[in-house]
Amino acid sequence: MIRVLCLAAALVLALAAPAAAHTVTAGADLRIAQTIAGAEVTVVVKGTTRVPGPLRIGVIAYQPVSGPPIGLEVRSVEDGRTVTGTARAAANPQYTQLRVERTGPHELKLSAGNETAVIPFRVLVERDSAGEFLIYGGLFVAAVLLVGGLLTGATARPGRAMALAAGAAAGVTVAAMVIVFDSQVPAPPPDGAAPAPTTSTAEGRPYVQARMETVPAQPEAGEEFTLRVDLADGSTGRPVDDLTAHHEALAHVVVTSEDGRYFRHVHPLRTAPGHLEVRLSAGRPGRYLAHAELERENSGGQLVAADFTVGGTARASAEAGTGTESGRTGAPAKQAGTTVTPRLHPAVPVAGRPTTIELDTPGGVRAWLGMTGHLLIRSQDGGFFGHVHEMGAPGSRVRFTFGFPEPGRYLAWVQYATADRIVTVPFTVNVTAPEAR
Amino acid sequence: MIKRWYALAAAALVTAAVALYVVGRSTAAEPVNLTTTGSRYTATVFIADPAPGRVTVEIKVSRGDADTVALSAVMAAMGHSTPEISAAMREPGRFVAVGELFPMSGVWELSIRLDGPAGEEQLAVKTLITE
Repeated sequence: MIRVLCLAAALVLALAAPAAAHTVTAGADLRIAQTIAGAEVTVVVKGTTRVPGPLRIGVIAYQPVSGPPIGLEVRSVEDGRTVTGTARAAANPQYTQLRVERTGPHELKLSAGNETAVIPFRVLVERDSAGEFLIYGGLFVAAVLLVGGLLTGATARPGRAMALAAGAAAGVTVAAMVIVFDSQVPAPPPDGAAPAPTTSTAEGRPYVQARMETVPAQPEAGEEFTLRVDLADGSTGRPVDDLTAHHEALAHVVVTSEDGRYFRHVHPLRTAPGHLEVRLSAGRPGRYLAHAELERENSGGQLVAADFTVGGTARASAEAGTGTESGRTGAPAKQAGTTVTPRLHPAVPVAGRPTTIELDTPGGVRAWLGMTGHLLIRSQDGGFFGHVHEMGAPGSRVRFTFGFPEPGRYLAWVQYATADRIVTVPFTVNVTAPEAR
Repeated sequence: MIKRWYALAAAALVTAAVALYVVGRSTAAEPVNLTTTGSRYTATVFIADPAPGRVTVEIKVSRGDADTVALSAVMAAMGHSTPEISAAMREPGRFVAVGELFPMSGVWELSIRLDGPAGEEQLAVKTLITE
């Protein structure tokens, strides 16, 4: 009998080893792109395995950044406890270590220049599962009692030996049952997680109503202005404060001049619930279009659009070319600084059919916004806006496939990050109607 | 010998039942007890029996002198919002609101609007309401 139990315990122990390897590493990195103090950066918050424990925050820069470091302030929304530090933006940043005392909702406040962003996030720490406790508890009991049973049996006390063997069998039974059924029992949510429904409910949330405006209402050419995006829930009217980090940003805002010579792809700062802001300047007067991509929690992506007018007269520093580096929001536009031109297949795209666009990237690429390349497309009139991601082309190139929905002229920009800057390559695409061929 | 086997089987079953209880316990509904801190006030929300329908909510304001407290709820997933309920002050820093805050089960965001000499502030906590 004891031999059988010993064998069973040995088998269960052998089976238990892989189960332990399935524990999930606590926490996950939060990456949020921000356009702050004229620089394009990605803030990385590294998860912690315990509380109280360290929370490491780094700021990745995509171009050389000068100026003072970015101020960091982490506040627990529950108890209001606040810790502060600074982080210097760099291509490979040093991580600043702040201490968090508890799990649950927190806010990260970023300060640079006279700009401030408040990013809500949750500190999560994996809980020990009850199943794991029972597996190890059961095996521990079994092991202790088996040794006791062997010793008692050796001294010829069958009654006590049987009692101990029964206890050991119970321990092994619990451990074995939990091992078998553990995969069917849902894992407990991490400590600090937001409440979630226990049963699946319909996915999706109401649409966002967005109001975009500039401050001042009519900016002057060459002068800095703020583009504000105010978001309200289409069903409740409340501020929308549940934006997810969608491609590493709360919102991707693309501002283009009507003629396409001005282009900025920026990531506004959350200043308050439902309020996003980004500083810009435009060198030439005229009509400008703003497209904002965002995604609510448990929902699909949404696109909101607006236009505004820049007054005054063109400044000498106004952009002369057709493209600009997106990183320097306040900088005048310049030629993209690249001689490569995109290749289109087919050379004359047909509406409704896939077109592949390839671009050589001799300077190499590094991931930016979670992707190695981005293609932004706008119809001439601004009525259509598209954002395509790189498909993982081999070699030094980026490749995109897109089906232009209608015939006509489209303005397009390929963007990718190199070691020290974000490259923007503008071009136009004339799309023909299927029957025209 | 057979008796002992019965005892063994019974012990195993009891232990298994305890195991299932421990695993299942984590999914049972519990009172809501959540604290949130804003720039002016700290509020703790306590709901002894959270369920759809009429509930009693106690709000303790441990930081900031709140004169008035009002509650409303939003279910973001469905786009529902409820009317605001004023909480009655039972003693300084302790308010009680009674009303239908959660018309259905699901994840609700409870908004707490506090007002006092320090000014108005709206805080929020999220909670899962089950039948």
